[in-house]
Amino acid sequence: MENYTKYRLKSNDELASVLADIDNLFIIACNKCFKEFETIDEPECAELEKIVSDQGKKVTGSARVDFLCNKTQTERKLQDMIPEGTENVLVISCGLGIQTIADLADKPVYAASNSLNYTGHHGMALTKKNCDACAQCYLNVTGGICPIVDCSKSLVNGQCGGAKNGKCEVDPNKDCAWEKIYRRLEKQGRLSEFLAQPVQLRDYSKVDFKFVNEYVKSIRENRLEGYYGGIHPTERKEFTEHIALQRFPDPETVVIPLSMHAGAPANPVVQVGDTVKVGQVIGESAGFISAPVHSSVSGTVTAIENHGHATRGECLSVVIKSDGKNTLHESIKPNKDLDSLTPDEIVDIIRESGIVGMGGAGFPTSVKLKPNKPIDAVLLNGCECEPLLTADHRVLLEFADDVVFGLKAIVKTVSAEKGIIVIEDNKPDAIELLKAKTADCDNLEVVVAKTKYPQGAEKMLIKRVMKRQVPRGGLPADVGCVVSNISTTKAIADAILKGMPLVERVVTVTGEKLKKPGNYIVKIGTNTKDLIDYCGGITGDDVTIKAGGPMMGFVLSDTNVPIMKGSNGIIVVDSDHTVEQPCIKCGRCADVCPMELSPLYYAKFADQENWQGMKDMNVMDCIECRCCQYICSSKIPLVDKIKAGKNAVRGMK
Amino acid sequence: MLITQLKSKETIVSLVDGKKIFIINCQGCKEVHFPEKEALELQKELAADGKVTGSITTDYICNPENMKLRLEKHMDAIKAADLVLVFSCGVGVQTIAEYLEDKMVCAACDSCRLPGFQGVTPIEYDCGQCGECYLNLTGGICPITACSKSLLNGQCGGSKNGKCEVDSNMECGWERIYRRLEKIGRLDVLKCPTQVRNYATDDEV
Repeated sequence: MENYTKYRLKSNDELASVLADIDNLFIIACNKCFKEFETIDEPECAELEKIVSDQGKKVTGSARVDFLCNKTQTERKLQDMIPEGTENVLVISCGLGIQTIADLADKPVYAASNSLNYTGHHGMALTKKNCDACAQCYLNVTGGICPIVDCSKSLVNGQCGGAKNGKCEVDPNKDCAWEKIYRRLEKQGRLSEFLAQPVQLRDYSKVDFKFVNEYVKSIRENRLEGYYGGIHPTERKEFTEHIALQRFPDPETVVIPLSMHAGAPANPVVQVGDTVKVGQVIGESAGFISAPVHSSVSGTVTAIENHGHATRGECLSVVIKSDGKNTLHESIKPNKDLDSLTPDEIVDIIRESGIVGMGGAGFPTSVKLKPNKPIDAVLLNGCECEPLLTADHRVLLEFADDVVFGLKAIVKTVSAEKGIIVIEDNKPDAIELLKAKTADCDNLEVVVAKTKYPQGAEKMLIKRVMKRQVPRGGLPADVGCVVSNISTTKAIADAILKGMPLVERVVTVTGEKLKKPGNYIVKIGTNTKDLIDYCGGITGDDVTIKAGGPMMGFVLSDTNVPIMKGSNGIIVVDSDHTVEQPCIKCGRCADVCPMELSPLYYAKFADQENWQGMKDMNVMDCIECRCCQYICSSKIPLVDKIKAGKNAVRGMK
Repeated sequence: MLITQLKSKETIVSLVDGKKIFIINCQGCKEVHFPEKEALELQKELAADGKVTGSITTDYICNPENMKLRLEKHMDAIKAADLVLVFSCGVGVQTIAEYLEDKMVCAACDSCRLPGFQGVTPIEYDCGQCGECYLNLTGGICPITACSKSLLNGQCGGSKNGKCEVDSNMECGWERIYRRLEKIGRLDVLKCPTQVRNYATDDEV
């Protein structure tokens, strides 16, 4: 593997003159990037410490830091780094790191190293291929071999004539690039085309530094807008975002898992042979963190057995054969109006309706709405930052009144001062509609957020909207916030207005490998395979099916699993065949991690089963958003490694 | 780190010139810069002529192993094409050209350097990677990149109200250096003798 070494220590003589009139030095070394990620410590640091000591100067300490140029992270690391008594700081790094420290430290900063140019190696893999980024690509003329970098004279119009036996006259170890170009074009039968080409004039003025600088500035602003990190994958929402909701035809049989929520699975309260109606309780809540389960059809219970489950492998489920009548259970009747309900009554309705977080995590909403800390703001997550998914978007558009009602109910329940609906700027129609719907509510507002994943994660959402940092291991309530999902909020409205428990939800069924994508209102317990078949089935045989979005969804190896309370999407996408390659320490995972972690270490530590190391690097803070794995140039399955680490760390306690 | 920009439409159309094409988009360094929308529009136009045998959007084609795995299931469409049109930086195009040695592989983009943005992310500091770091004499502000004339031995005298005479939106790098040195009490380093610059490339050093 190539190492793109970017700096080396200055010469002893030069260092001696730098050191001549300074003392009490602290040394900061950057652990190089774009290299094989084996050694964490760079040898230069110890070398420099020795040189400084030999000069009779005092070293107050030293630190080795990753990605020194990452200002956000470096600023945090620098806080307690430099000990008392330090007068000067010596930095070993490329020029970026030195300038970062010079800007952040309040002490004189000196460079102990020179940066080297690694021209051309800008591919993300550590390849040997070079590209000079000349802004005038010749590869089309030369059969994909670059004459600028491969010819030692950078000739663009043919060989110099000095090559001997195919070797360059400047460097006999090097093949003559123009001979390589000739051979390749000959092989492709393109010689006459090539020889007929007029001489290519080279334009040396094309690199527009102003464009480059402005562009870089804009990326930087995007990267740090609202919160650190995050990514913006291609949205691919155009498959379904304009398709109105359709009711999925009633299934003949539903399989309703007793566990569709975080916490204890519900206890079944029906028996095989029982007749049940829509909205009837079939499973009772089995603890403080648990939720009841209701029938989504009327009919007969035919089995209570283990059945395939999208996230748990298998789960005890109630199988109900529908009578096709959808008779409502007697208990389904509207509640009092919102003004006359007390917060406790609202929580009871929500609990009895089996409402849980419908974004996927399935945390019981009634528990979330009884925080033990004062709440001032309720945030509705209308970001739907996952690519492909449009369920929440359609709910916002088609059930705007219900969503606003649900939000008012939550605001009342937690006695918040205001409710904020956060919508990403890729949904202008929803923004406009919700702004109109909330125009006459003083305590409700719509905030438009620039599209960036994972904005819907509650910690990011709170940081983006409220500029508050949820403490490590803490909950939104710790900073006075409650975050709710759009579909959940709509379910709350249904529970209060109609008395209808959570028995159906909106599911986006989409993906480039699905024939007829759409957004459907689906009864809980409907078979996923039926849903896919109804959408025209799958094109091609090499596809991946996921429950949820492409980032946080679960791969379904078997589609014979029911739709659940948290099933916001079923996606059918092209399978990706890549294999894990060694980490090249490009640092992009650390750059995009919204929790400001360093995922590259998790890959390394997981392979070594160094769980203590994982814990020390705060693996438990990871929200498993998959940004690191998405951006990884070596295609390392970081999320799997992180999950393994989290399990092991939990076991350590 | 670098920026890729689309070649002119005329150039690409003349390259294609009625040939059957297979399109490869590389978006690995997307947020560095890939003209995603413009490329898509152009590709739609090309596809309208019915000459596109297939296309894929992938990332990091500069990584040969994974690139091969991803291209495998498209080999029929690639074989059916006369030309493989690659939307990526020059490293990506060369990696594909080497793998599909018998195919005509063409670049649809030009690559522009991001000089100095060699760190993990484009950040606000430039570094010319000159191999002779001057930051010790300048309070940690680089005169190669912060001064539009890359002067190493002090200001040119042309700045007005602290702004550069070449680009009035730019602060005078040497004024910034002076202020920083003043702040840290090291104006004495300005007395350092003129530094002779070595322009040898990294190969020669």
